[in-house]
Amino acid sequence: MEDFEDFLDNRGIVEVDDEMPDEYRQAVFQFIELHANSELMGGLTERDWIPRTPGLRAKMSVLAKTQDEIGHAHLLYMVAADMGIKTRTEMLEDLFAGKSKFHNVFHYRVHSWGDQVAVAFLVDAAALASQQAVFKNCSYGPYKRILKRIISEEGFHMRLGEDRMLRFSQGTPLQREMFQESLDRWFWPALQLFGPDTKPNDKLLRWHIKSERNEVLRDGWVQKFVPMLHSYGFTVPDPDLRYDEDTKRWIIGEIDWEPLKRAIANGGPDSERRIREARENWENSSWVRDALDRVPAGVV
Amino acid sequence: MTTVGPLQPETVTVDDLIAAVWNVLGTVDDPEYPGISIVELGLVFSVEVDGTTAHVGLIPTFSGCPALAMIAEDVSGAVRSVPGLDRAEVRWLTAPTWSIERVTPKARAVLADRFTVAVRIGSGPVPCPRCGKPTEERSLFGPSRCRAVHRCEHCIETIEVLRS
Repeated sequence: MEDFEDFLDNRGIVEVDDEMPDEYRQAVFQFIELHANSELMGGLTERDWIPRTPGLRAKMSVLAKTQDEIGHAHLLYMVAADMGIKTRTEMLEDLFAGKSKFHNVFHYRVHSWGDQVAVAFLVDAAALASQQAVFKNCSYGPYKRILKRIISEEGFHMRLGEDRMLRFSQGTPLQREMFQESLDRWFWPALQLFGPDTKPNDKLLRWHIKSERNEVLRDGWVQKFVPMLHSYGFTVPDPDLRYDEDTKRWIIGEIDWEPLKRAIANGGPDSERRIREARENWENSSWVRDALDRVPAGVV
Repeated sequence: MTTVGPLQPETVTVDDLIAAVWNVLGTVDDPEYPGISIVELGLVFSVEVDGTTAHVGLIPTFSGCPALAMIAEDVSGAVRSVPGLDRAEVRWLTAPTWSIERVTPKARAVLADRFTVAVRIGSGPVPCPRCGKPTEERSLFGPSRCRAVHRCEHCIETIEVLRS
């Protein structure tokens, strides 16, 4: 293991058929599986909004974003399956049986179009920042290459989110009020996407899967989004928020981690419905997979 | 329109302006492939200049592409940065249709090297961007309508294939 860690410290890249310690294989696999599950559950959330999205232009982008997320999940499941721990079908079945984890933000209900925009704006930014930090120094080659493409697309989603947020900020008082309510609901879950402070002996950090501590990424997000929300005339739902004149930084109040713990244990406010609907969706589409399996190669 | 900005010397012709627009469009990146311009992807069909207005005709990779508005906005911004021009009329054309052959060889190389994305030309096998061996199709559609998901069994790589 020491030799392996030296290899990683010297920016060594591990490829799928290279020898690697079992612990490393397990940790990387779990990380990619979590990412894949989250893309899939995120894509299904997005899909919920296709019929309800106001305006053709926004509808087109929600449609495309749905395809993006499902496509990302597909690519990630393939990369994870190559690690030889679970097959793609096993990962999906575990997810739909409630045995797997996916990101906290997809355990909440998206109540309004305002919520959908707040998610696109706040959550996508948090996800992008985490993914960029993984990409930066990622020691597992196949994941790093997929991340490169995912990140370019998430960057594009963020621009779409910003564009819609801008429309809300220039909207009627009623629209602004709606968006403020959405921010109040989504600020904390989005912030918790980064996870609790990284432990000193964190393996993902040690093995160059992550390149930055959770609390550093979280703070970067706070420093960016608090002033941005203020500049558009919205408030941040934290009574203890303050600006430190000496360090020129925004300091947020204490974080209650209980909601995060419940959510990732599949006990969040909307976990049950989301997992059930994803499972039904999988079951109802089984005939398509069966039909495709019977098509001779080269026909489709 | 007879007003000519002070930056524009009298010797600047319409052809110069058209060339300047093509040049500046070469700096407008595709929103999903930073580092590859819309000119290299073959999205720019025509540029005409009328007074201080440039008319830019673009062709989408597919008509439902969600990036259309964003690309048009970036094109307008770039055009307005050309001295002597102050307006851009950007139109998404319905004909001709985009095809993969419009992607320049240089852009194909960047797609392969930087994004591990292959390009499907004709009906033959698609070579892996990493090892050059033929790949197998796994899904007709990937993250976008213009991309399929392939797999290289030789180097065990999941790749995306840009196609028309």
